[in-house]
Amino acid sequence: MDFNESQIERYARHIILPEVGGTGQAKLLQSKVLVVGAGGLGSPLLLYLAAAGVGTLGVIDDDAVSLSNLQRQIIHKTARLGTPKTESALGAIAEINSDVTVIPHTERLTVDNVMARFADYDLVADGSDNFATRFLINDACYFSKTTLVSGAILRFDGQLATFKAHLEGNNPSYRCIFREPPPPGLIPSCAEGGILGAIAGTVGSLQATEVLKELLGIGDSLSGQLLIYDALGATFRQIRVKRDPMCPLCGENATIKDLSLHRAAAQDEPCAVS
Amino acid sequence: MKVTVKLFALLSRYLPPGASKNQAVLEVDEGATPTAIMSQLNLPREYCHLVLVNGVYLEPSAREAHILNDNDTLAMWPPIAGGGNA
Repeated sequence: MDFNESQIERYARHIILPEVGGTGQAKLLQSKVLVVGAGGLGSPLLLYLAAAGVGTLGVIDDDAVSLSNLQRQIIHKTARLGTPKTESALGAIAEINSDVTVIPHTERLTVDNVMARFADYDLVADGSDNFATRFLINDACYFSKTTLVSGAILRFDGQLATFKAHLEGNNPSYRCIFREPPPPGLIPSCAEGGILGAIAGTVGSLQATEVLKELLGIGDSLSGQLLIYDALGATFRQIRVKRDPMCPLCGENATIKDLSLHRAAAQDEPCAVS
Repeated sequence: MKVTVKLFALLSRYLPPGASKNQAVLEVDEGATPTAIMSQLNLPREYCHLVLVNGVYLEPSAREAHILNDNDTLAMWPPIAGGGNA
């Protein structure tokens, strides 16, 4: 692909990196990433991916901007209170980089729309905020053979991982590590337990970096690793995790063959992104 | 025998009195497993997302059968699912 003069200047600090170069930048401009949740993690994710020139950014969220969001959701502004987060994010990205096409999906991610949504993207970045959605995303990524870069935050802690269990080798899925969602109410949400705002920036920025690495195919993938950030202890731990032969999704005797268990779960509790 | 238990994030409240920061040394039965120690601490299994023995990850299907040794270190983290959205 040919760059115009303004693109050469805009992406100059990428193009000068031998690991990226013009070829890598062209790859980013042709890439399609779906970000689930335009909130705490979604804000830095969308801003950095847009600035980096990821050509198509889908954003799925059914919520509207509220005042208590602004302590950490840096893509949104006070002037946009009450507007859908997808629309607010689209406006912010348009001000940063017109090379990027934003596709707003102002809806909940559900068992009925997840496969259709994922089919249009090369990679999914999970910034959702409940277990039901995280399991739905993990399973749908496995079945659609889509790479998943997953971030999670609560209080003063963060966790980051990449999942591509559809590939051979030591590429565990989320279910290899964590079998099923904990009973509702056992683990607090950010709304219940709180979140130090800047941690959304730390983990969301790390997540954006891992997304870019996966798109470019550079460096060491976080697949098979879990990165744990303890802000109070000011420490990062990298834990090597492995594929579990007993995993119900990708193990030797897998029992989960499709997304139907999410349909049953959704009858008990709607699967919300926000 | 003695096992050092390290509990992180929300799990630290399950440490016995006298624990320093995130860890405590527990007296446990010979042949104790990670799940036996969870029971000893009244720690729900659903809370124990990540389990490490001497720094090495132990997958869920191995947690009931893995026999701990004297002076092992058992570290555990809870699952988190927040995105800072609501």
